[in-house]
Amino acid sequence: MMTHATRILTVDDSPSMRALLLHALTAQGFHVEQAEDGQAALEWLAMNEVDVVITDINMPRMDGFGLIEHLRGSARHADRPILVLSTESSDEKKQRARNAGATGWIVKPFDADKLASAVRRVTH
Amino acid sequence: MSDLSGIPRSANPVRIAILQGDARASADPAVEFSTILGSCVATCLYDPVARIGGMNHFLLAEPPSHKSQTDFDEHYGLFLMELLVNEMLALGAAKPRLKARLYGGANLHERLAPIGSANAAFARRFIRDERIALVHEDLEGHQARRVNFQPTSGRVRCLVAKYDAVPTDKPLRRPQSACGEVELF
Repeated sequence: MMTHATRILTVDDSPSMRALLLHALTAQGFHVEQAEDGQAALEWLAMNEVDVVITDINMPRMDGFGLIEHLRGSARHADRPILVLSTESSDEKKQRARNAGATGWIVKPFDADKLASAVRRVTH
Repeated sequence: MSDLSGIPRSANPVRIAILQGDARASADPAVEFSTILGSCVATCLYDPVARIGGMNHFLLAEPPSHKSQTDFDEHYGLFLMELLVNEMLALGAAKPRLKARLYGGANLHERLAPIGSANAAFARRFIRDERIALVHEDLEGHQARRVNFQPTSGRVRCLVAKYDAVPTDKPLRRPQSACGEVELF
């Protein structure tokens, strides 16, 4: 049976963080696409398929909360795993993400093995 | 080493020490951030329109114990940079307007690995990759520095510090709270 590499869309406005994520996730065998904010992610997702979204919170144009709410409002993305990856760690922000429909929360600086493990858990 | 913008100082500044691992921002004209640097680097960011400034102080940490010990851990430096930028944005700064000044990264011990240069290179690369304007740098060399930064004016004073005033020149491991905690809902 043919299997494809898990496809991940990472959403982060920092080029440095995008480079770090690209390196860490491709090294773990994932196929990685990247968007620089929530708006760019929505535009990309309108035309493409993905298995899991990993998004930052603080971003221009559309932040991570807005992205999660938009995706959960669409039948196509209602069950898509969405992991938040943020420097924030307050219970209030986590609860807001959970209420918006996020699948999980990962605190930066991330550990590549833990991040990969979380991706595998939410996609299997 | 001094970098003066000509803007008068507050008569009685509220001086806040920025220690290794800290990232703070302020829009209060009375505040002055202060730090002492050996191998560490301090990034001073300033939004001249919003008149908001912030400073961090980092030393690239050794990776977690289960990782290779051969490289410095840029994840942690990136985390402190992002923390600083986010603190600035939370107060109303805009990333495209940010201007950066970089200080520190001295190589205090000739016999040891050039930790200061590694920190300086990381800071320069981050500022370049994030497309933040680098308006001044005072990096590397062999002397410790004391840096005072007024966040609402962007004014910086950087002076040579006594070697024994530098609190530490060894990279620290990531704090336990900074190891990528995962919580699935």
